[in-house]
Amino acid sequence: MTAAPASATESRVFPRSFDALPAVFAFTADLFARQGIDRALLPTIDLAVEELFTNMVKYSATSEADVRIEMTGIEGGVEVTMIDYDVEPFDVTKAPAVDVSLPIEGRRPGGLGLHLLRHMLDSIEYQYSGDRRQSRITFRKTAAAAPGS
Amino acid sequence: MLAIDYGTPGTVVVSGRLDAAQAAVAQAFLDKVEGTVTLDCSALEYISSAGLGVLLKTQKRLLASGGKLRLSGVSRHLQDIFGYSGFDQLFEIEPAR
Repeated sequence: MTAAPASATESRVFPRSFDALPAVFAFTADLFARQGIDRALLPTIDLAVEELFTNMVKYSATSEADVRIEMTGIEGGVEVTMIDYDVEPFDVTKAPAVDVSLPIEGRRPGGLGLHLLRHMLDSIEYQYSGDRRQSRITFRKTAAAAPGS
Repeated sequence: MLAIDYGTPGTVVVSGRLDAAQAAVAQAFLDKVEGTVTLDCSALEYISSAGLGVLLKTQKRLLASGGKLRLSGVSRHLQDIFGYSGFDQLFEIEPAR
């Protein structure tokens, strides 16, 4: 399916709770439909949004601010920015690697979310503004790029 | 949403989305299964790392008692996730037809 040309950014805020996930997925599905983005990309986008959103909920628990999600249809895919407010910095692009070759005895839950994103997204960037205590994570996924490229 | 229930003998059928909001529901169900169990994933649309954690915990428990969890009807997208996470080495996986 050929994606629509680059589209306007759509933005929504969500309360920092796992209970917000259904609303988050409704937002992504709705945007994909309205902007004609290749639906084959939606599971990967939902995965990335969920992993980053749940990290924000779990690891920035002292913040009470809503999380903002901005989405834009781009050539061949979509760009997403997630903004977290009143938080300490945590650069998701520098999270430790997970050894997925370990036998089951050595495997522990946790850490797989960011590991998957490194493989499945075209790119992911992290920015932190200290004076505003604001984290911005921007990632892109297109149909043209091979996974992990 | 997620639905999980017993299917034919030795099978559990999971459908919908196994995400962070539904992981506890799935874990509570799978904590009750014993022996060798096939998880029919043919209607499982989506899984996140929270869901992978559920599968890992279940596999560890079943293996410890001589059983295991097999995954059947696995879509191309889920196969990719299982590959990147190394779960294709931890589970017997049957692709979707």
